Amino acid sequence: MKIVVMIKQVPDAEEIFIDPVKFTLNRSQARGIINPSDENALEAALRIKEAVGGEITIISMGPPQAENAIIECMGRGADRGILITDRVFAAADTYATSLTLAAAIKKLGEFDLIFAGESTTDSGTGHVGPGVAEFLGIDQVTYTINTKIEGEMLIGERELEDGIEVVSARPPLLVTVMINANIPRHSSLRKKVDAIRKGIEKWDHDTLSLPPDWVGLKGSPTLVGALKIPEERKRASKIIKLEEIPDLVNELVKNGVISTGGD
Amino acid sequence: MELINCVPPENPNDYHDVFVYLEIRNEHITKGSLEMLGKGRELAEKLGDKVVGVAVGKGLKKIADEAASYGCQIFLGADVTDYSGFSSVAYTEFISSFVFEHKPSIFLISGSREGRDLVSRIAIRCKTGVAADCIELDADVQNRLLIAWRPSFGDKTIDQILCKKHRPQMITSRPGSYKLPQQVEKPDCDVRIKKVKMAKLAQDHKTLEFKKKDRLDLTSSKIIVSGGLGLGKPAGFKIVQELAEALGGEVGASRPVVDLGWIPYEHQVGQTGQTVRPHLYIAAGISGKIQHIVGMKASETIISINTDPEAPIVKYSDYFINADLYKAIPKLTEEIKKVTAQVAAPSS
Ligand SMILES: Cc1cc2nc3c(=O)[nH]c(=O)nc-3n(C[C@H](O)[C@H](O)[C@H](O)COP(=O)(O)OP(=O)(O)OC[C@H]3O[C@@H](n4cnc5c(N)ncnc54)[C@H](O)[C@@H]3O)c2cc1C
Ligand SMILES: Nc1ncnc2c1ncn2[C@@H]1O[C@H](COP(=O)(O)O)[C@@H](O)[C@H]1O
Repeated sequence: MKIVVMIKQVPDAEEIFIDPVKFTLNRSQARGIINPSDENALEAALRIKEAVGGEITIISMGPPQAENAIIECMGRGADRGILITDRVFAAADTYATSLTLAAAIKKLGEFDLIFAGESTTDSGTGHVGPGVAEFLGIDQVTYTINTKIEGEMLIGERELEDGIEVVSARPPLLVTVMINANIPRHSSLRKKVDAIRKGIEKWDHDTLSLPPDWVGLKGSPTLVGALKIPEERKRASKIIKLEEIPDLVNELVKNGVISTGGD
Repeated sequence: MELINCVPPENPNDYHDVFVYLEIRNEHITKGSLEMLGKGRELAEKLGDKVVGVAVGKGLKKIADEAASYGCQIFLGADVTDYSGFSSVAYTEFISSFVFEHKPSIFLISGSREGRDLVSRIAIRCKTGVAADCIELDADVQNRLLIAWRPSFGDKTIDQILCKKHRPQMITSRPGSYKLPQQVEKPDCDVRIKKVKMAKLAQDHKTLEFKKKDRLDLTSSKIIVSGGLGLGKPAGFKIVQELAEALGGEVGASRPVVDLGWIPYEHQVGQTGQTVRPHLYIAAGISGKIQHIVGMKASETIISINTDPEAPIVKYSDYFINADLYKAIPKLTEEIKKVTAQVAAPSS
């Protein structure tokens, strides 16, 4: 199996803050982590590789420091890592991001499975996986909590609102993976060191033969018009001692927070 | 599909009407899609357009009637004569063909699993953009533009998303974002259903089985009692459960207790779990790290129970019970049972 896993480095939510002067999000100072469900996507891919053999290539589009996320993935057992990085890719929406990633996968050549996370925590649309599938003209199996290969087919369990749908689909396929699909393994330090020695390949818009105005902000049909900062609600934080719990319950009843079934 | 950039149409004003994708589950239109239909009708009225429901499935006559009863003005159906289950590829093809034929200006899709599976394929097929998970929609009538607002980065900002040149202007909103529309007194809908086949498109894509199981949906819960690492042991969820039961609510959890296997994932609240907004949220033994907070801070009333008066959860709480949860939770349960029992057995 030739497997591609798409991963994104996202800022750790705890460390994002809003610049009070420039009124913009300050992401640059936030520590980067692998987007949570992408870790599950990699784990699902590694398990298929272990079951039927194959080779896993990580691709990630992002700034140069996203290299660290790829190295971590190599440490967990991926075979090759490619960072798609170029100033002109910045501020891409899902159309332009999907186009760029699809172009990179085309350049890699033949593939059987592409794994993606269910959604990212920083922009969180879940659109990039299906978008890549659309550009490549392939089928997709989304929201999986379990995947395996049986004969020539992929069997996937999809977690939907009202139950689990079990589907059979033929590669080449794009598969998206849920955060509760598996517990991602830890990386091996030795493999990480190997990855650093080998180096991560870097591709830009030239490598992908993509005109600069097809990608990044220019290639994006949507744009951010304005930004509001929602007002944080101030809460009273009224301190209640153990012996004051009866009073608290009475207050909650009085304020209609707890209904006693009488109304 | 070729790898091609997003060329806009020459004249965006050739595009009219508001499309709404009608997702069908259990032979009915989902609540999420009905909400979008209501919103679609509002926008259409403002713009002097019509609201158009689009659906894919078997038969569809009953679905068309249901849509009409909620104010749908035109119904475009793809009646699949050889239906073999959901297929992104086939659905994308059918829905996009309606877009090419009708040229809608706006296209609303409920951000359910199915909606999110389809929306970006449809958008790319139609060479347009999507604003995902919007919470507020409005129309700029003069410029015939959809003004969409979406929260980003864990609700730290709300961004206005515009799609100025491309059509349709597509958006999704999470189910529960808007009110359900009222049923109309005199449904008046132009129903157009065409027969289609999916076999060629959905080649080798088959639904083998559907194991029905309602996922715990905390997003519509009125009361949630959540437990965190402060419970100390899996059995701690017993008292959490008892309190939830006394209140007629559901049980929630922080991520580490889910990771430890103390409680299933469907109970997790937070950035990588569910985003909830109950009337009452009780957080017991939860420190209040930002990834948990973003999933519950919109709750009406928040009570936290924690031994640590410095825990970050305190500032997000209306009431902070500074005590050992093993003492506080049973006490709360007892007191709540008392007040509810009073009503059940009125004193004479
Ligand atoms: C990418 C990412 C995504 C994440 N997503 C989520 C998410 O969706 N949801 C989520 O919850 N977390 C999430 N987390 C984890 C989050 O950062 C915190 O680690 C987690 O919320 C902490 O859980 P906790 O409050 O239960 O545990 P702790 O932080 O360990 O807090 C336990 C609390 O219990 C109190 N306590 C201890 N004993 C008692 C007692 N006897 N009585 C009363 N109080 C007691 C302690 O004082 C402490 O405040 C995510 C993290 C990352 C990096
Ligand atoms: N810049 C990127 N580089 C690589 N993969 C990405 C990128 N953005 C999104 N993805 C993949 O697409 C999935 C969905 O992302 P999103 O649509 O942003 O929620 C992620 O979980 C990744 O697997």
